[in-house]
Amino acid sequence: MTVFKGFLTITKRNLGMMFLYIAVFLTISIFVSKTLGDSDPSGFTAKRLNIAVIDRDESLLSKGLKNHLRQFHHVKDVPDDAAVLQDKLFYRDIYYAVIIPENFEQNYTKNTEKLPVIKVPGSTSGHYVDQQINTFLNNIRTLTAGGFSASEALEYTEESLSFRPNVRLIDQTGHNGNMAKHAYMFQYIPYIILSILCYILSYIMLSFGNKDVKNRILCSCTSTRSMNLQLILGHIVIGLGIFLICVSMPAILYPKDFLTDPNLPYYLINSFLMMLVALSIAFLISSFPLREETINGIVNVVSLGMSFICGVFVSMDILGKGVKTLARFLPVYWYEIVNNLLARNHSLSASQTNELWQCYGIQLLFALSFLAVAMVIRRKRPS
Amino acid sequence: MIHIENLVKRYGSFVALDHLNLQIQEGEIFGLLGPNGSGKTTAICCLLALLKYDKGQITIFGKEMQPDRYDIKKDIGVVMQNVAVFEQMSVWENIDYFCGLYVKDKAKRRELVEEAIRFTDLEEYRKARPKKLSGGLLRRLNIACGIAHKPRLIILDEPTVAVDPQSRNKILEGIQELNRQGSTIIYTSHYMEEVEQICSRIAIIDHGRVLATGTTEELKNMIKTGETITIEAVAADEHLLEKLQTLPHVFDISYEKQVLKIRLSSGRHNLVRILNFLTEQDISFGRVFSELPTLNDVFLEITGKKLRD
Repeated sequence: MTVFKGFLTITKRNLGMMFLYIAVFLTISIFVSKTLGDSDPSGFTAKRLNIAVIDRDESLLSKGLKNHLRQFHHVKDVPDDAAVLQDKLFYRDIYYAVIIPENFEQNYTKNTEKLPVIKVPGSTSGHYVDQQINTFLNNIRTLTAGGFSASEALEYTEESLSFRPNVRLIDQTGHNGNMAKHAYMFQYIPYIILSILCYILSYIMLSFGNKDVKNRILCSCTSTRSMNLQLILGHIVIGLGIFLICVSMPAILYPKDFLTDPNLPYYLINSFLMMLVALSIAFLISSFPLREETINGIVNVVSLGMSFICGVFVSMDILGKGVKTLARFLPVYWYEIVNNLLARNHSLSASQTNELWQCYGIQLLFALSFLAVAMVIRRKRPS
Repeated sequence: MIHIENLVKRYGSFVALDHLNLQIQEGEIFGLLGPNGSGKTTAICCLLALLKYDKGQITIFGKEMQPDRYDIKKDIGVVMQNVAVFEQMSVWENIDYFCGLYVKDKAKRRELVEEAIRFTDLEEYRKARPKKLSGGLLRRLNIACGIAHKPRLIILDEPTVAVDPQSRNKILEGIQELNRQGSTIIYTSHYMEEVEQICSRIAIIDHGRVLATGTTEELKNMIKTGETITIEAVAADEHLLEKLQTLPHVFDISYEKQVLKIRLSSGRHNLVRILNFLTEQDISFGRVFSELPTLNDVFLEITGKKLRD
């Protein structure tokens, strides 16, 4: 076990650098998980806007529409003057103005023509008012087309729109519909594991990759196979150390949520497989004749590249179709699929469990493939 | 002990080893002498199975050498041209590491490491890291890493490159001591004096071929030059040089900047005869000295060029 012991001795000499990297990456990870985890996507609160309704029809229906909008917004009294309306919108005294033209009752209940409106350009709240007006008009149109008079249509419309359904969100995540904070940490773990392991192991392996040292080892009676196995063992020891540090962080920061999460074993298996993938990638990188200066660049490309493409930094839901297709050829994608599955489901169905194990298998295959390629390169590489 | 037969190694169209043949006996210090680029290191790398060769055969200890012949490798120690140690390990850790590649028993290894440290006189530096060592100490560490496991065959590839004279002498004495302890040594160098000083047999190699093999004396006897007489501050003309050429044993004369160099084949009273002739011709002269042939003369005569070209 001379090569293994030598590997550990060199690791010991690089402990300072190791802890520096670990501290930097874990700090970033904790910061990101805190930032992402603090947002509350479950609640929606309707905003009351300042709007203007210019009623040129003064009919039963136009008054009905005005009253309907008053339930949701502050309807301001604004004179029927285009210049004044523009000014009010410009200074944000109002955000939306709807003009009800003359003969509204005759013209707008018979066809699907839209009411003229003026709104702040690009305003998302404006769409909300559009939707409320359209809902009101569609109801009126449907009822008048069905033979109801205008007053009856108005009465039934108000009645139906005043109905408030009782919506209850099903808590699939076990955290009031939100993703658990430790899930955000696990989302970020591939970047930490990849970066730390690739940096540290590449630096350590630089010593073993030195041509003269390598030749001296090749001249000895320690076989190449034994040497590679001992180096792999060294990688695994470092990998396990980093893995334990990474998974202990959510246990320390969010002990209650994390340790009681029924998906805890799945999270651990997933990140363990990610550690194996990262180790095999690190072993592959160190199989090439690298210089100290080039390690930084290569590790950044690998860890940042995979993290951006595979949904580590941004949710996979907002990644483009092309990016996702490309990401399927990378192991981190399958890690994030599992992580999303665990984060969004408190308990897993049979098909979800099946999908989970498939993703685990794919990650393991990736790890074995990288390792095999590394072994071939090491064998073929001239001394 | 070692047989190299018709070894051919090509790098593209360049022939690094051209049907190289060598026989090395047990207990020898065998010198491989040649200028830079002559194929010495390539030959050593092929011998150690670090390089694949195109043709030929190498047997060591009666067995054919292959990359996976660990039974042969366990009895070989290597000290390469460049210092091959781990920067992050101390002197002791480095020697222990490389010794550990051969010797698994911890207690035995500790003894061997201590012995190697004493042998290379590195006791004071056992905890020092390589970057704290001078060039000479680094070379000694390099040697300690190669010989700690007490191999039967030690291959030293230019171990004294860029080493001060004091450290060089220490290294050369060490090599002779290793030989006395029973190790066969292959020593490559382009420093003739070193090879002449320690090697029992020498092969002169150039363009990947062995040009001559033998002891120092045998090699010197192979060439025409038996003695070179140098006479300073002589005023010689064409007529005098022609007359000198006719004297017995004289076969080559050069005259430059009032220094007359006469090369003669072996013969008795060569110096007296030359000096008598100059006196008879009433030619005055300054310092006179006579030199026996060196390996440089051997190399010059065999290859037609200086060793350090």
